[in-house]
Amino acid sequence: MYKKLNDLIENQEADVILRLSDNASIPKDEANTDYQAYLEWVAEGNTPEEADET
Amino acid sequence: MSVAINGTNGITYNDGSLQPSAIGKNLIINGNMAIAQRATSVTGITSAGYYTCDRWNIANTTAGTWTQTQDTDVPTGQGFATSIKMDCTTADASLAVGDQLGLETRLEGLNCQQLEYGTANAKSTTLSFWVKSNKTGVYTFEYFQPDSSRSISQTYTISVANTWEKKTITIDGDTSGAINNDNGLGLLLKWWLAAGTNWTSGTLATSWATLSNPNRVSSSNVNLADSTSNYINITGVQLEANTTATPFENLQYGQQLALCQRYYWRWTDEHAVSNATFYSTVAVYGVLSFNTTMRAAPTFTVSAAAHFNIFNSAAATAASAFSASRITENSARLNFTASSARTQGQAAWVEIITGAGKYIESDAEL
Repeated sequence: MYKKLNDLIENQEADVILRLSDNASIPKDEANTDYQAYLEWVAEGNTPEEADET
Repeated sequence: MSVAINGTNGITYNDGSLQPSAIGKNLIINGNMAIAQRATSVTGITSAGYYTCDRWNIANTTAGTWTQTQDTDVPTGQGFATSIKMDCTTADASLAVGDQLGLETRLEGLNCQQLEYGTANAKSTTLSFWVKSNKTGVYTFEYFQPDSSRSISQTYTISVANTWEKKTITIDGDTSGAINNDNGLGLLLKWWLAAGTNWTSGTLATSWATLSNPNRVSSSNVNLADSTSNYINITGVQLEANTTATPFENLQYGQQLALCQRYYWRWTDEHAVSNATFYSTVAVYGVLSFNTTMRAAPTFTVSAAAHFNIFNSAAATAASAFSASRITENSARLNFTASSARTQGQAAWVEIITGAGKYIESDAEL
């Protein structure tokens, strides 16, 4: 399971995805194998949790 | 001192010693298992992942339970101080068709270009390594080249139980399958230790061919998972663009650590992590520059946010949340939430608190 994060400085969605099992911050870099796993998870029809309201 | 240049094997000095033929000839990182940033021993392993020695990954699909150790059992007189050990703690004597167990190391495409795969000049490579196990018999070693989805396998035999043996495997270069000149997976080297029939039911691919799972492992391959008495140690792994095995290339510890940190690093307790600023009364941001450029933007994980203290104004406050952002191959922004409010704009720094099991890690493994 994954969750979006907000970037308080940029006031927009952060450029990372939170992996809820270990609270890892995964950058949206297609060379990152954790992000590749996330993209596969999304391709299977899953949806990440929305970021918390700030 | 006189020398004799031997274009195949290296340089022979007049005392008879043979020296490596080239600096950086070993395509394997941490082949002597000297670096183990994550841990030196992990028990209860039932799934794939990196556990102890850097750059060495376990592939495990329900083939027993294992303890992996950075071990001090090494072949005598070879200059190695450590090996990687896999010790079976729960057996799987009857493998399901899809079960597998393997020890892998993964080479980045940028580091494979010297092999000239996909051209008429594709170079042969020689793999050499030391291995020891209680379980004698046939084992399979495999190269997998994902950019062109091609593989080749060879067998080797452990002849004598509980005795270090040096194995050498030479394979032709692959003239058909090019390896992309990028930071992705270029070559995967796999020591198969157990395999169900999904991997063994075909004819072993002893020449480069399109990947076919039934052809990846010898039908004679041992099942190292069949007894809790079983173990295997491996060290001194070297892969070189050569047709013979030359002496192992020993790097300085710091050189090898830096090579490993392109893929993974971990800082542990009492480590000062970053200078920072109270961006708001509780949001504390710092910038962390990496020791070496990483393969890709890495994943950041901490043991727990509460394992970090934020210091300012002669006091420390624990962190209550952590994330990283603006992550590149070279740096990242660390975002901590302070458990007690401070004045916005104040300077601070962040440290990992004292105690085992507290860390921040950055992972860009292949």
